[in-house]
Amino acid sequence: MSEAKPFQLDPNESRKVGYIPQKQIDYYALRLHVIAGDLSANQLKAVAEVAEKYGRGEVHISTRQGMEIHFVHASNLDTARLELDAAGIKMGACGPRVRIVMGCPGSATCKFGIIETKAIAKELDRRYFRTDTPYKFKMSVTGCSHNCAKATENDLGVMGGLLPAWDKNICIDCNLCVNICPTKAISKQEVNGKSEYVLEESACINCSVCTLSCPVNSWTASKSGYTLLIGGTLGKIPRLASVLKKYIPTEEELFNLVERSIDFYRKNGRKKERFGHTLDRLGLETVKKEILGE
Amino acid sequence: MTDVAKRLDLSGVTCPMNFVKTKIALDSLDQGDVLEVVLDEGDPISNVPRSLKEEGHRVLKVIPHGETFIVHVEKGRV
Ligand code: SF4
Ligand code: SF4
Ligand code: SF4
Repeated sequence: MSEAKPFQLDPNESRKVGYIPQKQIDYYALRLHVIAGDLSANQLKAVAEVAEKYGRGEVHISTRQGMEIHFVHASNLDTARLELDAAGIKMGACGPRVRIVMGCPGSATCKFGIIETKAIAKELDRRYFRTDTPYKFKMSVTGCSHNCAKATENDLGVMGGLLPAWDKNICIDCNLCVNICPTKAISKQEVNGKSEYVLEESACINCSVCTLSCPVNSWTASKSGYTLLIGGTLGKIPRLASVLKKYIPTEEELFNLVERSIDFYRKNGRKKERFGHTLDRLGLETVKKEILGE
Repeated sequence: MTDVAKRLDLSGVTCPMNFVKTKIALDSLDQGDVLEVVLDEGDPISNVPRSLKEEGHRVLKVIPHGETFIVHVEKGRV
C-alpha cells in the first residue's frame, strides 16, 4: 500500500465492479466473475491465495455458481482485484445489470445433454455481462429438461430440448418407454392387434429419456434445439419462467431472440421490476408476440 | 414367452449395485441368452436399462409388477 489516504468508495460504483459492502464497516465481499461455474485449477489457487492474503482465508460459493472472497478490508480491495486480474479472474457484478451466466456441464460431458451449454454461456457473457438493465438480470444455460442449472429460475434461460417421434418399423414392443417417461407422455395402444406407442405432445417435457433408453432407437428426435425461457425469478416474488419458443434450431436465431427479449425489457421494465413481472404487468401473450415479431 | 436362462431378484437393491449384479449375471450367459431381473421402480428402472443399452445388451420386455418391474434382457455381443 503506497499511499495511506482514507479509502472512499461510492456504493453504486463499488457494486458495479463487484465490491459488496459487508455489514462490518470498511469490509467488503469481493464477488468474482465465473462463467457456467468453471474456473481452472490455477485460478482456484489464485483465489485461495487472495483469500488468505487479504481476507480471512475463506471463500463463499453463491447459489448461482459465483464465488466471493469475504472480509477484504477497503484498503486492500484494489490490490486484491489486481492480483486476481493477473490470474485471469475478473470481478463479478451486482446491482441493476446482467449478472454472471450459469450453466450445467451440457452435452460436452453429460449423456442427457441436448445442447452444448458452455459455448452458449460464454457467448451470452461476452455479449451482455455487466450491461445495465432496469433491475438485476440473470441468465442460465442448461442442457436438458433435467434443468440442473435451473434455467426456469432465471430472467432468461436456455434449455436443450427435443421432440421424440416413434418408428413403428423398429419398435420391438418392450414397453420400456411407457414405464420410464417422467410425465407419462407415452401410452401404448392396441391397433388391429398390434402395439402402437403414442406420444401426447402437450405432456412431453422434451427430455432425452426415451430416445436414450429405447433399446433399438425407435424413439428419435424429430426436432431438437434450444428452448428459450423468459421471466423466471426466485427471490422476493418468485415466478417460474415462461417458454418463449421451443426447438430453436440455430444459435443465430437463439441470439437474435435473446437480443429482442433483453431489448424489450430495457425499454419497458420499470425500476426494480424483474423481467417476469414486466411480462405479467403487460400481458405475457402480448409481449411474446412482440418479441417474436408476430 | 421368451426362454429365460437365469433369474435375478434385485428388488431392494439400489443403484449402482443392481447394475453391477446384472452385469455379473450376464457374464455367466452366452450371447443371445435371456436374463430376467426384477428392478425397483424409480431410479433402478430408469437407469439400469439405459446402462444395459450402453453396454450393448438389449431389453426385450418390461412388465410392471407392483412396485417393481420384471425385465427381460438379451445378452449382447461379448
Ligand atoms: S441439465 Fe441435463 S445436460 Fe445439464 S447436467 Fe443436468 S442432466 Fe446433464
Ligand atoms: S422402448 Fe423402444 S422398443 Fe421399447 S416399446 Fe418403447 S419404442 Fe418400442
Ligand atoms: S422426451 Fe421425455 S417427456 Fe417426452 S416422451 Fe420422451 S421421455 Fe417422455
